[in-house]
Amino acid sequence: MFGEQLLSNLAQGIVLGCVYGVATMGLSLIFGVLKVVNVGHGAFIMVGCFVTLFFFNSLGMSPFVAIPAAFLLGLGIGYVFYYSAIRRLLKAPELSTLLATFYMGVILQEVVKLIYGSEYRGFRWKVGSLSLGFTSLPMAKLYAALGSIAVALILYAWFRKTRAGTAMRAVVEDDEGARVCGVNVGGVYAMSFALGIGLTVASGVMLAMFLPVGINPYMGAEYTLKAFVIAVLGGLASPYGAFFGGLIFGIIENGSYTFLAAIPGVEPFGMTRFLSFAMLLIILLIRPTGLLRAK
Amino acid sequence: MMKHVAERCLAALLAGLCLLLFAPGTGLAQSSIVIGHPACLSGKYAKAGEQAVGGIKACVQWVNQEYGGISIDGEKHKLEYKVYDSESKKESVTSLIGRLITVDKVDVVFSAYSSGLTLRGAPITESHNMLYMDHGGANNKIFEQGFDYVVQTIGPATSYHKGTLDMIKQIAPEDKRVALAYEDSEFARMVMEGAENYAEELGFNVVFKRTYPSGVNDLTPLLNAMKAADPDFVLGGGHYEDGQLFCSQMADMDFNVKALSLIASATLPAFYEALGTNAEGVMGPSHWEMGVTFSEESAKEKGLPWIGPSQEEFISLFKENTDKNMKPDYHAAEAGAQVLAYALGVEKAGSTDSDKVRKALGDLEFMSFYGGWDVNENGMQVGHTMVNIQWQDSKRALVWPESAQTSKPVYPMPTFQEKDQGAVAVPE
Repeated sequence: MFGEQLLSNLAQGIVLGCVYGVATMGLSLIFGVLKVVNVGHGAFIMVGCFVTLFFFNSLGMSPFVAIPAAFLLGLGIGYVFYYSAIRRLLKAPELSTLLATFYMGVILQEVVKLIYGSEYRGFRWKVGSLSLGFTSLPMAKLYAALGSIAVALILYAWFRKTRAGTAMRAVVEDDEGARVCGVNVGGVYAMSFALGIGLTVASGVMLAMFLPVGINPYMGAEYTLKAFVIAVLGGLASPYGAFFGGLIFGIIENGSYTFLAAIPGVEPFGMTRFLSFAMLLIILLIRPTGLLRAK
Repeated sequence: MMKHVAERCLAALLAGLCLLLFAPGTGLAQSSIVIGHPACLSGKYAKAGEQAVGGIKACVQWVNQEYGGISIDGEKHKLEYKVYDSESKKESVTSLIGRLITVDKVDVVFSAYSSGLTLRGAPITESHNMLYMDHGGANNKIFEQGFDYVVQTIGPATSYHKGTLDMIKQIAPEDKRVALAYEDSEFARMVMEGAENYAEELGFNVVFKRTYPSGVNDLTPLLNAMKAADPDFVLGGGHYEDGQLFCSQMADMDFNVKALSLIASATLPAFYEALGTNAEGVMGPSHWEMGVTFSEESAKEKGLPWIGPSQEEFISLFKENTDKNMKPDYHAAEAGAQVLAYALGVEKAGSTDSDKVRKALGDLEFMSFYGGWDVNENGMQVGHTMVNIQWQDSKRALVWPESAQTSKPVYPMPTFQEKDQGAVAVPE
């Protein structure tokens, strides 16, 4: 029974971890290139969840269609926020960009609240489930995980195989050097911010596929907190590291429940959070740059 | 000449105004009695907050228009309602209560919603010796803190699942295995404590008992463990969002039990809107439901005074006072009933002074569309009994107590697989 529960929780953890991973890649990308910490991260995820809701409930379309739409919307929002605020604050003290991204999150929350109201919403996407013997996984969750992996692979290929990706890596390595070599560093900054936001909004679609309930304008705070833990775990400036960080986080969050539940007098759910943050502290002490370095 | 005419006209106008203002029976001369409310119109409790505001507005309108205002020493006073949005945040609740008391000079403060927010606001009202009426904080602990000015209308948390347990004991005495899983909040922990004690008292076997953190977004580890405990039925929940998640993830896992009762979520129409047929058969305890049979006659039978609109009048007033085409649920009814309790308390005290009204409320016992109202010496509600609803064929049916039934309970409820194929919960 214990083994079956553990396997079941690990399977759920892997699937959830993929979604966590892709939901953190945008945060790491923006920090890696611009050294800007996006504290409004969760609000951008929330926008993606509402895009899914719109496609599914209002247009009657599959959440898959919402992925490119959410990415393009995020890209647009990213460029608008970059040119209206972030570009002017790049040389300002860190607190300025922290406040700017915080207020971007607040603006998004309030805009979505104006359109949809503040109540919790949800939808039901009936696509069956996959039986693994020891547990059954809803196909919607599997699709969310596969979508996350696909997005991560596309990003990886884009970084490695395109000139824009190479330019971005050059800016991460040494922005002055890149400028000397003819790279339009300002353009790369804008593109990185927009791409990071686009990825984050698209990850909201995956999250809504995974958890199609509880969607509301203020849902992002929980994910911001988790994204920071995952980003630090994977290496704050490394999008790939963030993906693997998410995977590890999901496995620990779900997998540890089975062990913690076996300890008498322990409320395992509360302890899984403690364990996740304790892990963050230990990693910061041992390896301050995170598990994977920026690449 | 013209100057004299103008002076006389002005004097006549002033005299007319004075007559209008101070003439007996017009009601304009008396000052209003102001209810202050840091409502939850956005954020976590927006759904319940919106209902509460609608219920209060409906009953304020009834008191002013049908009842003719609150009578003090033979003079009628209108009720006024001052509401701010606390965004369901503790820090906003405390600052808004301070503002309502010191700037808006309200006569009474209604709590925001939830046990946590109610508890957070109580020290502020206590420090101002201000009456604090609680329509949304069910935790018994609120009344164990030694507060002098808190008076409750909602029933205490420990009684939430008593009806469900009574019902299952009666209709399926062989089903003894109960699982409890509640949100780790003040309110839900108290519900769990009450449910556990009562379950053991009735001879049930509690095979699983766990809490989950507030704001949780994945319950699968807990549900996996619960499934392994093989319960006959499950009692749990905390608030709307986690209740929705609870049922949704049980469906994902095809985890079937004979009954599922979730507090503070299953009773809301939005629960069915989000979950569709998966909500069929799910139950929830409620302080009030449309269809309950409290009336002036039932008050007479119990020897209690009656006040307020009939159920139909309340529903109509509620709809008039809300922007959306909403139907009132228990959050609206308990908040509305609180207005009626306050009106009676002020009339009984003959004053709006918080000390006097608090004392009068302590001695007050009455019935309204919401049911009975009576508080103990600590201000905790003891006169109100709860009902249980079940989603049957996309409608909320009153299934317990038997005396209030609009439909028989469906037990066991359909499995999630059956529900996926379109099965609905309909009694035989």
